[in-house]
Amino acid sequence: MASVYELPKTRINTGMLSQYISRPVCFVGRVHKVNPTGKSFTLADGEGKHASVELSDPLDEELSGIVEVIGMVSNKATIMATAYTIFREDKGTQFDLELYNEGLKIIHEFPQHYPFEVKTSG
Amino acid sequence: MSGKLTGGAIEAFTKGAAVPDPLLQVVNIRKIDGGNGPARFRLMMSDGLYTMSSFMLSTQLNPLAEENTLAPNCICHVKKSVTNTLKDGRRVVIILDMEVVKSAEDVGGKIGDPPPYVEGQTKSTAPPAPNPLAQPLQSRNGHDGASGHRGPSRDFGKKAMPTLPSTPGGSSKVVPIASLNPYQSKWTIRARVTNKSSIRTWSNSRGDGKLFSMEIVDETGEIRVTAFTQEVDKFFTLVEVGKVYYISKGTLKMANKQYTSLKNDYEMTLNGETTIIPCDDCQDVPVLQCDFVSIADLESRDKDAIVDVIGVCKSVDEVSRITTKSNREISKRAVNLMDMSGKVIAMTLWGEEAEKFDGSGQPILAVKGARLSDFGGRSLSTLFSSTVMINPDIPEAFKLRGWYDKEGHALEGQSMTELKGGGGGGGHSNWKTLADIKAEHLGHGEKADYFSCVATIVYLRKENCMYQACPTQDCNKKVVDQHNGMYRCEKCDREFPNFKYRLILSVNVADSGDNQWLTCFQESAESILGHDADYLGKLKETSEASFEEIFQKANFNTYNFRVRVKLETYNDESRIKATALELQPVDHTEYSRRLITNIRKLAAQ
Repeated sequence: MASVYELPKTRINTGMLSQYISRPVCFVGRVHKVNPTGKSFTLADGEGKHASVELSDPLDEELSGIVEVIGMVSNKATIMATAYTIFREDKGTQFDLELYNEGLKIIHEFPQHYPFEVKTSG
Repeated sequence: MSGKLTGGAIEAFTKGAAVPDPLLQVVNIRKIDGGNGPARFRLMMSDGLYTMSSFMLSTQLNPLAEENTLAPNCICHVKKSVTNTLKDGRRVVIILDMEVVKSAEDVGGKIGDPPPYVEGQTKSTAPPAPNPLAQPLQSRNGHDGASGHRGPSRDFGKKAMPTLPSTPGGSSKVVPIASLNPYQSKWTIRARVTNKSSIRTWSNSRGDGKLFSMEIVDETGEIRVTAFTQEVDKFFTLVEVGKVYYISKGTLKMANKQYTSLKNDYEMTLNGETTIIPCDDCQDVPVLQCDFVSIADLESRDKDAIVDVIGVCKSVDEVSRITTKSNREISKRAVNLMDMSGKVIAMTLWGEEAEKFDGSGQPILAVKGARLSDFGGRSLSTLFSSTVMINPDIPEAFKLRGWYDKEGHALEGQSMTELKGGGGGGGHSNWKTLADIKAEHLGHGEKADYFSCVATIVYLRKENCMYQACPTQDCNKKVVDQHNGMYRCEKCDREFPNFKYRLILSVNVADSGDNQWLTCFQESAESILGHDADYLGKLKETSEASFEEIFQKANFNTYNFRVRVKLETYNDESRIKATALELQPVDHTEYSRRLITNIRKLAAQ
């Protein structure tokens, strides 16, 4: 199977996790709790619902604020992260997670206009 | 038949006595055109014994006469009236409330043949009594064989308007504001001050003076009151907004509707005889009366209409100072108001109100008596007489606040004001895409069209983006290089040793649907290039490479543009000319909200 990087990743929120098991996703949320082991953390989405993220390697930095994770959804509806990006909030503009969630809903409500789920051939 | 009428009432009226609820027959009605005001009706009435022609109908009863309900021969029940004595001693009875109890057709004709009442003539029919109130009337009722049980004279001795409190001075009774008119001088009203202006002074060829005005209400209506010079000194400090006062003996005249929105045909001027006495018992006197117009409905109102509006203050411009035609410097500030119609309108505040206004927290603004203007589509301006209330304690305000906090804040709001009054940032409205310019034929009308769009710069024309302009402030005319170190301005008809650089930059902008050439003058070009014209001019002379780099850097930036479009014709060729009036960086949060709202709106269709 191709790596997550090459596959189209659907942007989802916590409520949609169960529909995307074994599929690559992109998840943006606010860091809620980091496991002391550094191998997993939880993110709160724009609706305040939590999602667990599991890492293959322990974190080597402090994690806080808004984080975007890409990875595969496990059978337990957790995200097996391939990579993550911290959204810097020190540039003045705050990331509006609730607004982002409104955008997500539109993408899923009108898939005909947001055809990002096309499977790459081969 | 004549027994039904209240015989003796006419005589009592002429003596200035109170006649409670008399039944009178209308003999004649005459319409008196009131110049610029509404028509007045003068009645000749009969009590069966005498007729008298000096009855005036107060204007609020005009419909009775206009609809012919009140016609000669009908019998009416005069419920409220006031008798006035004119300077020459004649008395005029103003009818404030009346009811037709028997129509003209039912009566059929004049009852009896009563002669006109002449003072002193009464001797022949009834003995003059020291108390004109009860004595002669009762005796006369007896003469005429009044039908006993229906005799209105039973009510004698009762106060004419028992529900109203008496006046402190005791001289005249308290009357409702609705009954005030120029034909009546002895009255007292009890009213709440809803608005008081500051003192304004004037100075002209006829002298100096000062004035202030206030608006007062009672349960029947409202009226504007103005005080001049001496009365300003006497009453200005006494009168407080929100308090209730007994006011008596002002001068009434036709209201100048240009300056007031109050629903009263008259306005009052305080004079030397006026008294104003505070009233403590004021529970029943209403507070400010507003008749709010929906912002969406303002489009259909006439220019210069005076309206009451309530809205959420969505955004506020900075204060600016302007000089008026009369050479007075004054502060102004525009605020954008939105109400539940989802429409936004710009309203200008002036003077102290503009300086002190705090728009933080998006307060509710209720304005009584703002003037509607067609400046830039539709806009509002407060007047000297306007009352501006911030977060007023009224149900409309609470309702609006609830709506705004729940859903209104997410609305972008469509502005009725297309061209912004004061410059300054933030006030984008009428959002379009570049494809809309063609699709909607923008700029093809008589007037230019203004819109906002989000667009990305894809090309900047470096050639001829600057010119050498006259260095005089406010003159931006291109100068002619005399090639002797001097530059000539044709407009100023002068030569200068220097010039200033002005920008006139053509940029091509694109969005998802189309692209468009925009002309950007000085300020907008400077913000696109990130440097002022002076610096750019020098750079062009010294380092072509650095100049080039600035243009490269300006590419592919996205802005909110405010654009003016107009079809212009040169040499028989018409083309759309689009000018960027101003531009700001895109506020992505606001932009996303707007897109989401639009998508939801489209999906709902």
